Amino acid sequence: MFRTILSRELQETGVSSTLLFALVALTILVLPSAYIQARYYQSVVEDYAVRQSISQTEDNSRTIVLIRPITPLAPFFNGAYDSLPDEFRVWNDSATTNTPSGDLTPLDWLFPKIDLGFIIGVLLTLLTILLTHGAIAGDRDRGSLKFILAGPVQRRTVLAAKLTAVILPVTVILIYVVLLYTTVVMVFSGGTVDLSGSDLNALAALILVALTVLVATAALGVAVSASVRRSSVSLFVCASIWIVTILIWPSLGPYMASSFKPVSPPEAAQRDVVSKEKELIHEELAEHRKTAADLKERHVGVEFAWRRYLEIRRKWIERRNEEIGRMVEERRKQVRDQRGAARRISLLSPYAAFREVLGSLCGTGLESYDEFLAAVEQYRQREFIPKGFDMRSRQKPWLNAADPEDRLQLRPLQAPSPALSGRLSAAAWPLSILIAEMIVLIVSSALIFERCDVRV
Amino acid sequence: MEGGGSRIWLIARKEIIANVRNFKTPVAFVAMTLLLLLSAHALAIDYRNRLNNWSVNRDGQRNPVVNDGVSYDLPDGGFSHRMAFGNPPPIESPRPFSAIVKGMDGEMDRAVVVRSQIVFWARHNETATGALFDAPDTSFVIKLLASLFAMMFSLDTMTREKEAGTLRAMLSQPFRRRELILSKSLAASISLLAPFAVAYFIEIIYLRLAHGLPSGREDMVRALLIFGLGALYGVVFIHIGIFISTITGRTKIAVTMALGAWATIVLMLPNVSVLMAKLLTPTPSYNQLSARLREARMRILQEEAEANPAARLPPSRPVSRQNTPRLYEIERQATDDYIASKNNQNRWARLLADLSPAGALTFGASDLAGTGVDAYNSYLELFRSSRDVMLDALKRSLDLPSHEGNKIMQEARGTVANRRRLTEPLGACLRSSIISFSSLLAWAAFFGLAACWRFERYDVR
Repeated sequence: MFRTILSRELQETGVSSTLLFALVALTILVLPSAYIQARYYQSVVEDYAVRQSISQTEDNSRTIVLIRPITPLAPFFNGAYDSLPDEFRVWNDSATTNTPSGDLTPLDWLFPKIDLGFIIGVLLTLLTILLTHGAIAGDRDRGSLKFILAGPVQRRTVLAAKLTAVILPVTVILIYVVLLYTTVVMVFSGGTVDLSGSDLNALAALILVALTVLVATAALGVAVSASVRRSSVSLFVCASIWIVTILIWPSLGPYMASSFKPVSPPEAAQRDVVSKEKELIHEELAEHRKTAADLKERHVGVEFAWRRYLEIRRKWIERRNEEIGRMVEERRKQVRDQRGAARRISLLSPYAAFREVLGSLCGTGLESYDEFLAAVEQYRQREFIPKGFDMRSRQKPWLNAADPEDRLQLRPLQAPSPALSGRLSAAAWPLSILIAEMIVLIVSSALIFERCDVRV
Repeated sequence: MEGGGSRIWLIARKEIIANVRNFKTPVAFVAMTLLLLLSAHALAIDYRNRLNNWSVNRDGQRNPVVNDGVSYDLPDGGFSHRMAFGNPPPIESPRPFSAIVKGMDGEMDRAVVVRSQIVFWARHNETATGALFDAPDTSFVIKLLASLFAMMFSLDTMTREKEAGTLRAMLSQPFRRRELILSKSLAASISLLAPFAVAYFIEIIYLRLAHGLPSGREDMVRALLIFGLGALYGVVFIHIGIFISTITGRTKIAVTMALGAWATIVLMLPNVSVLMAKLLTPTPSYNQLSARLREARMRILQEEAEANPAARLPPSRPVSRQNTPRLYEIERQATDDYIASKNNQNRWARLLADLSPAGALTFGASDLAGTGVDAYNSYLELFRSSRDVMLDALKRSLDLPSHEGNKIMQEARGTVANRRRLTEPLGACLRSSIISFSSLLAWAAFFGLAACWRFERYDVR
């Protein structure tokens, strides 16, 4: 009986204009979106090389510029990559960082770039709703539900067949969209998108996660369809829930969090840091002045004075790092708390949870960004400050002749690049919410359909 | 005609009452009021935070900078230690109307340093608010809800009559078919616009009382014009709904078709337009501009080294005084090209997006709010002209003794610091949004006429 209902439903879906229309519309949208993403990625990779070469020639023992490498999965899901600074100027004597340049992308504020996350999370969920809203209510409209249930068939079998009849074509479309998108990105990115085995696994995991969202949406459609008598009402209710949960709630979440859990403006935090920096600089200069006068009085040699100077410098750098670092860390904690609140609010939407998982899988989410910031700080502490000091201690500024070979030799910054298991464990929380939503919606749809009175 | 008018009103009144009784109008009112208030609250808080950020930055500009040093003078040599710590570079103030239509205002939350070059720092987006999703401003809520409710009020107007068999009875009366379409359009428009107007003005009153926004007569006119644009956008979707209702026989098919059309028009068309604009007018990235400027500088340094090989000039040195004006001109030209390409891409995006209703609403509302393409272009123009002031001063100071040159540079810095971006005048905003209004009018007229034409040919048997 399951097969009979399934084949009937599949035939109906196959001949419906909705599926054909969706395929055409998705193809039309996927081609330019993937093309733009591929070209954009190519330009970012080329920019990265240019920026690296510029910063390497300008780096010195006091300050260097660190650039966030772009992940090969960024064209599939941009996440927060475009919206947050990816270039940092760090100093050896200050725990603050500058973000010295940023491209002008005003159009992204009105219409963010379309990526695979948008196509799956918004358009494919809408298609799923279009296909499921009439699963039960449509049969009621036509009066065929009574006849189906009059046969020797359990209601859960009918429900499973109807759900499967939606999930199968949606899965085929999902795979078609991912393959088409990937092909366009690979072809038009000028060889810059080089997907490793781990990236391909991440893409496969992306399809599975997307399937979870689509099954949850299908279950929602069936649950609503079983609760109302007319398929047009079912579609209206489904569309309203879809608009609120997919389009409106995720956008409102971060703004609501900033109103419930405010943090001081960035410039105010910066002002406090600057004021502390200035205070410490004045204190350090006072000590240098005192020491210079003292050494002059004692008629010591310049090499001894230079060593004494370096000792004082090291002491003050450590103090500034400690005191300013504490302020910076406190600020980061406040920001993390606000982001956490925004996440908790937004995760009520399956689309927001889906994007969180994509961010972790593709390395473009906020957590990956925080990991990069932590790597920058670690690099500064363990690589830049010690080597900058080594170089400084080799110099003899009183001779006025710098050794041209004596350049700052730093090993490259290793940005964190977790394996697939690491990426999935980072996404555990939103992923478990998605799975829970899917299970709750499937069980709800089964319960609603079990209790559905077909006589009315 | 009087008889026709009263018949139209009679049918429209019945439809309006039916929409109230079957809870469509109350649902639309509650949903729109709730979401517009949430949006207003969230965006007003966001505006206040950005304003605080700007005012702290402005105050910080007046703080004394640290620029001091110590010399270690010893019998056999010496060295010095110099420390400098400046104030953060200035940022631009946010526009008050960004609490209603954020538009491109968030893009201007960045520090910009103007010297011989314009250095754009990264955007202030520490908390990543809005990093992943659209800004939920009023224009966003109207774009989604007004269109959806418009379709809800209109798409079963004809199919319902067809399914119930009442259409045949109605058309046997001495009615013109277009009068029927007109009455349905009138009823759906009133059913949509009445709750929308009340919800919108509750939002404006809330913003006025709780946040002091919008303030003044000009702001109220802007708010009214944005409402007018939103209302026209709603009418477009009412006509699309009626058109779908005339070409289908069953409400179920009409609803499915309407949702597909809605997704295409609201979610896909404007995005495709902007994608097309990006494809047609590719722009260099800011890093490419930086690389170009650096290349020019290196080229000049290399020429200098080749012209004077005996001097063994170090590779990292300032460009010689003779070549400095040449370098300034190269920098000026490259930066102007970069800004012009950005402006051109924005204009193309607006032009193409204006061809779709949702694009016209988004660009039109941001133009009216003073947070759109023109406002952004004038933001870039401000830095361009400030850079010219600085370049002029730099060039003049080259030939002068250092104290006089410093005085000129000080004056130029003062002039640039006092320059402020003014809110776009209402007249200019209105002129910018005329294309959006015209586009929406054309769409409304097109679907209205298409519905009339289709219905005239409908075989009621």
